[in-house]
Amino acid sequence: MAKLDVEITVNGDKYKLEVGSQERLLDTLRDELKLTGTKEGCSVGECGACTVIVDDQAVNSCLVLTAQVDGSEIITVEGLESKSGLHPLQIAFIEKQAIQCGFCTPGMLMSALALLNTNSNPTKEEIKTALEGNLCRCTGYQQIIDAVEMAAEEWGV
Amino acid sequence: MVEYQLLRAHSLEEVLEILAKKKKVQILAGGTDLMVDLHQQDPKFENIDYLLDITDVAELKGIKLGPEEGEIGALTTHAELLTNPEIKEKLPFIGAAAGSIGSTQIRNRATIGGNLVNAAACADSFSPLIALGAELVLRSKGGARRVLLEDFVEWPNQTVIKDNEVLEKIVFKLPRGEYYSSYQKIGRRNALSISRLSLTLLAEVENEAIKNIQVVSGAATPAPVPFRKVNKYLKAKTFAEIDPAAAGEIAADEMVGITGERWSTPYKRPALSKLVERAVKDLLEEAGYNG
Repeated sequence: MAKLDVEITVNGDKYKLEVGSQERLLDTLRDELKLTGTKEGCSVGECGACTVIVDDQAVNSCLVLTAQVDGSEIITVEGLESKSGLHPLQIAFIEKQAIQCGFCTPGMLMSALALLNTNSNPTKEEIKTALEGNLCRCTGYQQIIDAVEMAAEEWGV
Repeated sequence: MVEYQLLRAHSLEEVLEILAKKKKVQILAGGTDLMVDLHQQDPKFENIDYLLDITDVAELKGIKLGPEEGEIGALTTHAELLTNPEIKEKLPFIGAAAGSIGSTQIRNRATIGGNLVNAAACADSFSPLIALGAELVLRSKGGARRVLLEDFVEWPNQTVIKDNEVLEKIVFKLPRGEYYSSYQKIGRRNALSISRLSLTLLAEVENEAIKNIQVVSGAATPAPVPFRKVNKYLKAKTFAEIDPAAAGEIAADEMVGITGERWSTPYKRPALSKLVERAVKDLLEEAGYNG
């Protein structure tokens, strides 16, 4: 099968890739670019562990073919930390102990980032809606919601 | 094993050309249903040779609401329907249905056209659009034809669209005069729930009476249909003459008449009855009728 040319920007870095017809964005990120922070959970769009940001929107990278996002800007969990240190969301997740096993955390962070990028002062309901596609089997969600609230406050300052 | 070559179209003309020339082509839009089926090696797709990605085709995108008529491009996402200010103001039941679908991630990708063409029995986009009397514009290289949405689905996952056609847009007349609407849905949980039952009520009222009414089933029946007996019961009645509970019972009878008694009937019958009752009560309340 013929390969397809794709140009994507991931966490600010440009990549020219040849991808297979059936290659999902999740596969490209993990297997080609070795960005293994993005997790594969259910593979059918139910759990949100594979959430990344594509052109400012949270999407399940298991349900998107890489060739479909040609020309797009993608942010993964690896794009959060900068030279100046951890991102306010990461600090808040640690501070509020919003992590237990950690498998859902990259997806949670991406959904939260997509929200805060468009709404810097979300209500609790808006946070819950933004995170409704992300399952966590450890924390019971409260700490995660607290962390997003904290990040919004810190970030706003 | 499901294997395919991905083709990417960048214009409607290109889509129609490919559909005219190649066989065994499956169109890919948002992919939130199709990618799941492909990943799970659904035997339904064993025969496809090509997957045609249309997500970059600008002609299939956008919402236009004029004073009398409206159209929604097939690639409009549920997130766009949920946040569009004109939809919110003029057709809130469409926004409510779009908002009830999936999760934020799903709504960002899933398209209204995909929801209609996939035609799952639980698809949430049908009932609001059938209530509007919407038509679908199906385009092939030879031209376009219009199909009433109500006549589009033959059976779950089976529609009248042909292999060489693509759904271009959904067109409808805007409701006139004073009108009220309600979208109701029951799922097993809030987010990502598959509709067990859903319905849309759209009513045009005049002088404390119902001038026109459409109550349309969502997941209650194999293919979404208007509840004709309920509509007949409610039409031309004054608010004082309407018994919401009776409307609910009529709808429940009508549903069981269509589906027959099933294992789920003891749950669905009273649930649908209450949903219709609630929708009618919402209508009366919104219209300012206090009994």
